Amino acid sequence: MNKKSLIALAMSAVFLTGCGSSSSDDTNVIVEPTGFSFDATEMITNLTNDVIVAGYKNLNDEAADFLLATQNLVNTPTADNLAAAQQAWKDVRVPWEQGESHIFGPVDALSIDPHLDTWPLNTSDLQALLASQAGFSADELKTFNDDVQGFHTMEFLLFGDGVADNEKSIDELTALESEYLSAAAEVFKTYTQALFDAWTVRNDANDASSSAYKDLLITADNDVYASQLGVVEELINGMIGIVDEVGNGKIAEPFGTSIETIDTTKVESQYSWNSLADFTDNIRGVQNVYRGEFSEQADKAGIIDFLSAADADVASRVDTEIADAIAKIEAIAGDADLPFRQAINNADARVRIQAAIDALSTLQTSLENDVLTQLQQWQQ
Amino acid sequence: MKNQSRAKWSNLAIIISSSIIISGCDLNKSSSSDDTTTATQVAYTHVSKLGGDATAVDASDSGHGFSTPMPNLSTDELDKHLTGDTHFETAFTTAPNSDHPDLDGLGPVFNNQDCNSCHQRDGRSSTITLAQGQERFLLGPEAGIFLRMSIDDGQCSDPSIDNNYCKNIGVDGFGTQLFHRGVLKARDDWQENPFIGQANVYLSYEYSTVEYSDGSTIELKKPIFTIEKAYDVSDENRLNSAILQGDVRYSPRNGMPVFGLGLLELINESDILALADENDANDDGISGRPNWVFDPVKAKDEDPIPVSLGRFGWKASTPSVRVQSLGALRGDMGITNPLFPDESIANTPLHESYLSRTGFVDTGSDEQGAPEASQAFSDEVVFYAETLAVPARRNVDDESVIAGAQLFTQINCTGCHQPDFTTGTGELQLGGVAAPDALKGQHIYPFTDMLLHDLGEGLADNRRDFTATGAEWKTRPLWGIGLTKTVNPAAGFLHDGRAATVEEAILWHGGEAEQSKSDFIALTQAERQSLVDFVMSL
Repeated sequence: MNKKSLIALAMSAVFLTGCGSSSSDDTNVIVEPTGFSFDATEMITNLTNDVIVAGYKNLNDEAADFLLATQNLVNTPTADNLAAAQQAWKDVRVPWEQGESHIFGPVDALSIDPHLDTWPLNTSDLQALLASQAGFSADELKTFNDDVQGFHTMEFLLFGDGVADNEKSIDELTALESEYLSAAAEVFKTYTQALFDAWTVRNDANDASSSAYKDLLITADNDVYASQLGVVEELINGMIGIVDEVGNGKIAEPFGTSIETIDTTKVESQYSWNSLADFTDNIRGVQNVYRGEFSEQADKAGIIDFLSAADADVASRVDTEIADAIAKIEAIAGDADLPFRQAINNADARVRIQAAIDALSTLQTSLENDVLTQLQQWQQ
Repeated sequence: MKNQSRAKWSNLAIIISSSIIISGCDLNKSSSSDDTTTATQVAYTHVSKLGGDATAVDASDSGHGFSTPMPNLSTDELDKHLTGDTHFETAFTTAPNSDHPDLDGLGPVFNNQDCNSCHQRDGRSSTITLAQGQERFLLGPEAGIFLRMSIDDGQCSDPSIDNNYCKNIGVDGFGTQLFHRGVLKARDDWQENPFIGQANVYLSYEYSTVEYSDGSTIELKKPIFTIEKAYDVSDENRLNSAILQGDVRYSPRNGMPVFGLGLLELINESDILALADENDANDDGISGRPNWVFDPVKAKDEDPIPVSLGRFGWKASTPSVRVQSLGALRGDMGITNPLFPDESIANTPLHESYLSRTGFVDTGSDEQGAPEASQAFSDEVVFYAETLAVPARRNVDDESVIAGAQLFTQINCTGCHQPDFTTGTGELQLGGVAAPDALKGQHIYPFTDMLLHDLGEGLADNRRDFTATGAEWKTRPLWGIGLTKTVNPAAGFLHDGRAATVEEAILWHGGEAEQSKSDFIALTQAERQSLVDFVMSL
């Protein structure tokens, strides 16, 4: 990419300031060049390979472990195997929720998101299936609607309805439910594999000439990403999207405007009581993209480095705001370790929830007003 | 001012001019030296903000390009838009769902469960591809395409009460849209055929090759659909199904982008009709006809002539975003709403058997007679589609893009892809509701004349739609088209998603566009690339 010329920049200033200038201004405007330089290649390569693709690899690996756990449960229906399957479900949930900070590309194009994470669950069709069919195979289940498969169907089968508790005893789990669960886990695994392959092998599995999706980001000069600007814009807007969804959707909607207007039916992962872990992982996903590495890993290039080149103070403040949002969400459970669906109905916990909403709102405002806007100042 | 990184010194004067044009200044104010530089360039060459003030900010280079609210909405309008945004992604479920009564009512037969599944990230849906050796694909949740159908009854040119306003005649027991999916118990034979709708639809392809004048070739694919397991017949009598009879006409319909639609609805009707040339009086081989369509909003308001200019859909068969969106809510998803209060399959044997088998719990309305989606939900989701911003252009000052802009006019793509309009001002309505000010008086560059054109046999669906013939299609807006694959890498172009690239889409043009296509084929490879580069910059 060539650098913009000084005079072109001057003319940009004419554009930005709008009309009203005399004709002599059009050729005589001299404006100090603004903006900042940043070579984004290393950052984009790192975020693509070591955050996004690495996250999808984790998802696929955890999905394989989860499938094994459900198969063990079918073969040997014991309390231990049920507990192991429940834990394995929570383990798959981590990379998926963290990956919601970058919902673009194959996860959307291949309908992976609705296949894996449709909500609400269609309890009436699920129960009718369990009451009417003699058995379930993965091939058959794959043709079913999305609202009777994926995370929340498997969650319901593993944890029960989540109203009084999130514990299902092995005696409550029927053989047919286990079979359905395992078939659903097998279908699930095919989708996580397809997602990983689309990023690492070919984005259209049926077209030998199609690129690995990761390469479209790393070498951004193609029909998907015309420039690195598009990739960075994609990543920043992705962070904004999930911060907005967690603050204004996942938390605020069940929370209501008062304790009288709470709505537990809108709580994500309400059967397993995994909601707060989901929300935390969503914002950890933001942190991963922002910092360029998963927590506990060595420092690598992330959006923070892009931002530091523009404004180091803002870069540092946003990093703190992300950490603060995570801390505030984690704090919701309180000393009594309340799950989210009960916390919304507890006066003390509601104060902590409001603090989390506020922290997310602060973060969202910063991302929109202080981070995204830097794209216009970036001289590639 | 992003994406000027490819600007060259030789384009300096052009950059100066572009800043003037883009910012909407009066060209007369610019110095005479600039004027001589731009005199040979077409007026839209350097325009960046295709939606005027309703152009997206900080989103036009990424997959968010179709998904941002217009930046000039009021605070209340933005709130309404964002609420509509959540509805757009809401997946509906089978009724009854006691935990989520507000989200139940899906189907009982349908094409997809939420808006976003066919308009992924507010753009085009994924084109299904086939694996090596795979002959066909059963349309399921991944498919953003369905079949319209009707009985062939010849042309209809003058809609009136006497000809039922040229509405298409539905297939007995099915209607005018094939719902290939269902809730679990949609059919009598649900235990053997769970989740099937009126019939199964399979997609396969036939292939052809186009050769350029320089000898290079390109392979094109065309979708072919087959229908099996129609609900009205047993397997052994499958050919007797009402939808497999010789007088049934089908038209595949792919999901299309949903941004900028309110602007298109506010283009003055007179400005569109001024471009019509029904009998090709100017002898340029291009006619351009309006589609005159039944307007359910007018009918609901008891307008004596419930007919309007068609503006939306592949054949301009709906007059407003409201009719298009709420028609899709009731049809594609099976969610009844105040404008379309009856289930899509009401009064068919399929519906009657479904209701009796499931105890009349999913009739499409509740005890008070209210439809499945409320007025507020309907208004909000319609408003969302009316007020999504138009992405700005990219690479405006790239030399190849500038050259392509000139070629676009030289080979008369603009004969149908009319570059610009200015939207109406004053007291205006959108689908019967007061229009937001943000949409008014905007100088927009949608690159469509909003009219019907005969595009030849290759694209013809051979099914009329109101007054549109079986060979006519509405000129697609080209704004934002270059972001199609950024929004959804698996998206395809044209009404059935057959074209994998803009180049393939151009090559499918025929009929009134035959001359332009021939001219495109006759261009040098570099010129063809420039023209495609220009379209991709939109």
